[in-house]
Amino acid sequence: MAPDWSEVVPHVREGLVVCDAGGVVRHVNPVAARLLPELVPGTPLAAGVPAITTDPAGFGHRSRRLTARRVALSDGRCCWYVEDVTDHVDRADALLAERARASFLAGVGTTLGSLLHPDRAAAAVVRLAVPVLADAAVLVLAPRAGRVRWWRAVRPGDEAPAVDGGVLAAGDLPQAVADALGGVRAHAVDWLAEQATGAGWLPGAAPGGTHARLVPLPGVDTPAGVLLVTPPPGGSPDEDGTELLDAFAARAGAALTAAALYRDQAEVAETLQSSLLPVEPPGVPGIQWGTAYRPAQAGLRIGGDFYGAHPLADGGALFFLGDVSGKGVEAAVFTGQLRQCLHALHRVESRPGPLLALLNDTLLETVQAHGQGRFATLVLGVARPCRDGGLTLTMAGGGHLPPLVLRGGGEVETVPLRGMLIGVVGDPRIGEATVRLAPGETCVLYSDGVTEARGGPRGDQQFGAQRLVDTLTGCHRMPAPALAERIAQVAGDWLTRGDHDDVAVLAVRAVRPGRHLHAVPAPAGQPGRSR
Amino acid sequence: MTAARTPAAAYADYLDHLAEADESGAIGVALDLLDAGVPAERVLLDLVAPAQEDVGERWARNEWSVAQEHAATHVSERVVAALAGRTRAVPTRGRIVVACMDGEWHALPPRLVAEVLRLRGWRVTFLGASVPAAHLVSYLHRHDAHAVALACAVPVRLPQAHRMVEACRRADVPVLVGGRGFGADGRWADRLGMLWAPDAPAAADLVADARALSRVPPARLDHLADDEYAALVARRAELVDGALADLRERVPATRAYDRARLDATVSDLGHILDFLAAALYVDDGSLFTEFVRWLVTVLTSRGVPAAALAATLEHYGGVLREFPRAAGFLDRGRALLASAAEPVGR
Repeated sequence: MAPDWSEVVPHVREGLVVCDAGGVVRHVNPVAARLLPELVPGTPLAAGVPAITTDPAGFGHRSRRLTARRVALSDGRCCWYVEDVTDHVDRADALLAERARASFLAGVGTTLGSLLHPDRAAAAVVRLAVPVLADAAVLVLAPRAGRVRWWRAVRPGDEAPAVDGGVLAAGDLPQAVADALGGVRAHAVDWLAEQATGAGWLPGAAPGGTHARLVPLPGVDTPAGVLLVTPPPGGSPDEDGTELLDAFAARAGAALTAAALYRDQAEVAETLQSSLLPVEPPGVPGIQWGTAYRPAQAGLRIGGDFYGAHPLADGGALFFLGDVSGKGVEAAVFTGQLRQCLHALHRVESRPGPLLALLNDTLLETVQAHGQGRFATLVLGVARPCRDGGLTLTMAGGGHLPPLVLRGGGEVETVPLRGMLIGVVGDPRIGEATVRLAPGETCVLYSDGVTEARGGPRGDQQFGAQRLVDTLTGCHRMPAPALAERIAQVAGDWLTRGDHDDVAVLAVRAVRPGRHLHAVPAPAGQPGRSR
Repeated sequence: MTAARTPAAAYADYLDHLAEADESGAIGVALDLLDAGVPAERVLLDLVAPAQEDVGERWARNEWSVAQEHAATHVSERVVAALAGRTRAVPTRGRIVVACMDGEWHALPPRLVAEVLRLRGWRVTFLGASVPAAHLVSYLHRHDAHAVALACAVPVRLPQAHRMVEACRRADVPVLVGGRGFGADGRWADRLGMLWAPDAPAAADLVADARALSRVPPARLDHLADDEYAALVARRAELVDGALADLRERVPATRAYDRARLDATVSDLGHILDFLAAALYVDDGSLFTEFVRWLVTVLTSRGVPAAALAATLEHYGGVLREFPRAAGFLDRGRALLASAAEPVGR
C-alpha cells in the first residue's frame, strides 16, 4: 500500500519549500513556514529569502543558522530542504572554544613553567596574553625598593606582539593599580583605561572609552603583580573570557613567584659560590700559569678540586693543587676553608714542607672540632725564579698524584713526590722534592679526575697516568694555558658521556721575564716540528 | 721593517709568528695594523680568522703537530685579547651569551664572534670552550639575555647541539648557531630547526634583527622514528669491539700495535660511528661522506692507506645490514673511497 504523502510530509523535521520552474514558491510545510515566515506561496523564493544558498556552511536567518539542499523535481520544479543547525553549530563552537582555551593554557603552562629569570617570565606573560586575552596587556610587578617595573605587549596588526617595558616610581602608580598590588581586588572600572593612559601604558583612549580589566597575579602573600588587559575592540568580557583570564593569571602569578624566589636564592648561592671557585693565579715575573677546572656538577660549577697561587714578597710564588674527599657543595666548602688556611699560613711559613705540616695541624683541629671526617690530598710548592730565566720548584706532597715535568727535549718526567693524606693524623709523613725548570720547561699538577676518567671504547677503562704522559710528550713548546686546556680536553674526550669526577690542572712554566713571554728558540728537528 | 698596512700584507708574517708560538710577535703584527688605521673587526676577520683556518688545515695534513696547533691557537686567543684591550667598546645594547657546545673545544671562532658583537655595542658574555648545558641554562636563568650564540665545529655534536638549543629555548631565549659543524651552508642547522649564521658579521646582523631572530624554521626530524640513530648510539661499544677484532683478523700488523697506536685506532673506529650517527640524526649522507673525505686526508698524511678505511666501512656495513639508512651512508662512503683510489691506478 502506497503511503499517503500528505499525511507524512507535515511531520518531516526539515522545512520543505516546493518551487515551480519559474522559482515561484508553491508549497511550504509547517517547519519551513516557521523557519522562513517571509515565504508566501505565489511569490518568488528569491524575493522572500534572498540569502538562501546550498553552501554547506549554511546561512544566517533571523538569528538562526540554516542549511539548505535543493533537489530537482519533475517538470522543472524543485524542492528546498531547509534545516535548522543553530544548536549543533553552537555546541561545536563551544567545544572548539573550550579546546582552544585548554590548549592555550597548556601552552602557557609549558612556556612559563621553565622560565626562571624574572624579566624573561614577565615578558613572556604579556606576550602570551596578546592576542588571545587582550589587544594590549600591561604587567606591573610588585614594587621593589620603591620602584615598579612594568612590561607591555601590544599587537600591531597581524604581526607578533611587540614587547617593551619600563620603570616607575612606586608613588607614580595609578591608584587602581596600587590598590590591586596591595591586595585590594578591583573589578572592571571605567576610569581604569584613563589611568593607564595617564601612566603612558595605553595610547589615548578611543572615544566611548576602552574597557580595561585589572587582574591580580597571585603571589606568596600579596600579588606578585597585576595584569591590565584591554579586550579586543567589540569584544565584551563574557563569563568564559573571565574564567580564562583568571586561569591565566594563576599560572602567571605562580611563574613570577617562582622566578623571584629563584632569583633571591640564586643571588645568595652565587655569592657563596664565587668564594668557593678557584682564583686564577696572579701574574708573577718569570712564571707562566696555566689552569683548567671542570667540576663534576656542571650546573653548580664548584667541586672538591682546588688550586691557587700567591706571590711571595721576596720574589716567586707559592702554588698548590689538591683534592678533598667527597664531591659537590660540601667538598667545595671544605676547599674554601683549606684555601683560606693556606692564604693565612703562608705569611708565617713559606717553606713547602713545614707549611704543609702546619696546614695538616690546622685542618686536623677543624675536622675534629666539626666531626667532619674530611681529608685532602695536595701538592704545595714554591717557585723561585733563577737568573737564567729558569725556575727552582721546591714541592711538598700530601698523598697527591705526583707532578709531571715537561723537559725541553719533549720528554716527560714524573716527580717522585708522595707523602700522606692531609687532615687525618698528626705529624704525617710529608714528601719533598726539588725540581729545576730550564726556561720553557713546565711542571704540571693535576687531580685524579684526569687519570681516573672512565671511558675509552667500552666506557669502563681508566685514562691512566701513562696516557697522560703520552699526551704531554712532545708538547714542550706549548704555552702553559694551552697545555692545561689540552689535558682537560683529552681527559674530557676520553670520558664516555655521563658522570665524571672533578678535573683540575695547574701548569707552571718557566719563562724569561720581560717583553718576549715565551718565544723559546727550539733547535731544528725537534719532535714538535717534525713530521 | 715597515709595518704592513693591510691584513693581507701582514698575513705571512703573522702565520710565521703562530708557527713559532711567538705571542708578542703575533700581537705586534695585529696591533700595528690597528695603529695603521685598520678597523679591529677587519683585523679579527681578515687576519686572525683565516690564519686559524690555516692552522687547522696544517694539522690535518700532518704538517703541524697537535702541540703546535694548540700553541698557535693559544697565541691567536692572546691576540684577540690584546685587540680587545685596545678597543674599548661601551655596551649600549643587550646581553648576548656566546658559548661552545659541551665537548666542543674550538673556542676561537666563537671568540671572534663575541668580539665582533662587542665591537658593535652588545654586552657580550663569552662562556668559553665546552660549556655544559646545565651551566649555560643556569646562567640564562640568572642573567637575562637578548640571545645565545652557540658554536659547534664538528658535526658529531649535532645531537647534543639540538638538545642544548632546546634547553635555551625553554628558557625563552632566542638561539643562533654557527660553526662548521652545521655544514658549510648551514643545512644541518636548518634541518634541526635552528637559526644559522655563516660568519661573525652575519651573526651580528641576525641578533640585531628581532623579527629574524624570532623566525625559527621548524625542525624536520621525522626520520628519527626508525630508531636507527638510537640503536647505533646504544650499540657503539659493541660495534667498536667488533670492528677492532675484524681489523686484527685482516691486518695482522695491527695486533702488534702499542697502546698509543691502539688508542688512536679505537678512537678512529669510534669516530666513524659517531659521524655515521650524526648523519643518521640529520638524515644526510653527505655528512658522512664529507667526514670520510677528511679522514682520508688525515690518515694518508700519516701513512695509513685508504684501503684500511674501506675495509672497516665494509665491516660496519655488514654488521648494520638491518639499518637501511646507515648501510646506505656506508655504501656512499665506500664509493667515495673507491673513486678516490682510482687515479692512483691500484
